[in-house]
Amino acid sequence: MRTARTLRTLARTAAAVMIAAVTLTLGPLGIAAPLASASTGVGWIRLAHLSPNAPSVDVYLYSFGDSSAQIVLHHVSYGTVSPFEQVAAGDYTVAMRSAGAPASSKPVLSTAVDVRVGHAYTVAGMGPASGLRLQVITDRLTAPAGKALVRVIQASLDQQVVTVTVGHTKLARHLKFASVTGYRVVKPGTLSIRVAGSSESAAATESLMPDSLYTLVVLDSRGKLKIDCLLDAQGSKVDPAGAPMTGFGGTAAEPGVALLPWAAAGLAGLLMATTGTVLVMRRRRPALHAR
Amino acid sequence: MSGGRHASPTRLIRRPWAAAAALIGIMMVCGAVAGLAWAGQTGRAATPTGKPPLVPVPRGKWAATAQALSAAVPRPTALEIPAIGVKTSLVQLGLTSAGTLQVPSSTAVAGWYTASPRPGAIGAAVIAGHVDSYLGPGVFFRLRDLKPGNLIYVRRHHGSLAVFRVTAVRTFLKKKFPAADVYGPVPDAQLRLITCGGTFDPSTGHYLSNVIVFAVLAST
Repeated sequence: MRTARTLRTLARTAAAVMIAAVTLTLGPLGIAAPLASASTGVGWIRLAHLSPNAPSVDVYLYSFGDSSAQIVLHHVSYGTVSPFEQVAAGDYTVAMRSAGAPASSKPVLSTAVDVRVGHAYTVAGMGPASGLRLQVITDRLTAPAGKALVRVIQASLDQQVVTVTVGHTKLARHLKFASVTGYRVVKPGTLSIRVAGSSESAAATESLMPDSLYTLVVLDSRGKLKIDCLLDAQGSKVDPAGAPMTGFGGTAAEPGVALLPWAAAGLAGLLMATTGTVLVMRRRRPALHAR
Repeated sequence: MSGGRHASPTRLIRRPWAAAAALIGIMMVCGAVAGLAWAGQTGRAATPTGKPPLVPVPRGKWAATAQALSAAVPRPTALEIPAIGVKTSLVQLGLTSAGTLQVPSSTAVAGWYTASPRPGAIGAAVIAGHVDSYLGPGVFFRLRDLKPGNLIYVRRHHGSLAVFRVTAVRTFLKKKFPAADVYGPVPDAQLRLITCGGTFDPSTGHYLSNVIVFAVLAST
């Protein structure tokens, strides 16, 4: 009876010691920390002036609520499309002022842009000078495997309506000034691009890569038509399968060997802790015989 | 003289050896738990210790802006990462007959995947290197020590430098390799450095994870 009770006491004490020790140790240590990683909550934004008869402007990009601009592009003239800038995802304001106007002056135009993680946007001054507006165009960043995606922005005021062909693919028919098409799938290769308006036409040759996205901008240029072929985004031409095998294990720790000493120390410690605690906690039994 | 149910200060003094044994025992158990947790990281690549070799910051003309056409950008010839002591030439990597990424035949050099955009062109240039050989560290042994903000220098044919700034360092299980994030289209000039990491599986001779460094072209 006494043996059973002693054993139970020992077992309970041992359990309590283990729980306390594990909590004390692993609490602060935490689980094995994963490798350092930074948040990549970013998107991309680019700015464009696509109004043929509007004068040059200064373009400002503000993180929403900030009074000083994150990016300023000076003297942006018609036909300019800036490269994509990587920005933290969030709300932004794009403002246009006359070229050279003070940063504190009231903008000619402004618009809000909500940049979502992993998304890209083109913010363009579009339309005729008399009806100038800032348009936020969402840009795609994924193409079907092995294909190219192409779309058109029609920014020619002289040729009110154009038809655009890439290779054998008709991208746009009777596309009106200041409008944007959706993306069309095009087989990659070196292709001839043709733009035809009512009185003018233009041609260009471009190499379109797989896993890449393009925007063709149709522009007025001194009475003639011009095509700008912008590379919006590019990926690897071929995606390798699987994951790279870049290691042979020469620096990997040996499994199992190092565990034994720790386990032995732990058991010895448990024994000592249990015995000691029980002895300390034990109630002095009443004397059974005179001392 | 007679004790109550619980320990009292007089009791502890009476049995000091028992109390000491209990305390030491608890400390030993704590230590053992910590040691087991640490040693239980079975087969992980050893943590680099000590200072990395000294690699001076490379001199040269920085590529100012991303270039659209990959063909217009010179091909990459060398890679230097002063923050972790990496200085290596770059071999060219293609695909194996199985369609997987070729890896450098030497564990001391890194390689650029030729179907990925050239470093400095729009898109993510992919460079891979070994974390270790059968015997010891490889060219990318310290890759996991990179931190956001560290600079990576890619030297190109004719000498110009494409300089990239680390934005993230991540580990992924190979069976969940983020192919779209590594090979998919991006609208600016970026870089991906890849090596192995995580747990090493002796039965297959391969690591179970990849360490991937994400970086963007830095401006002058």
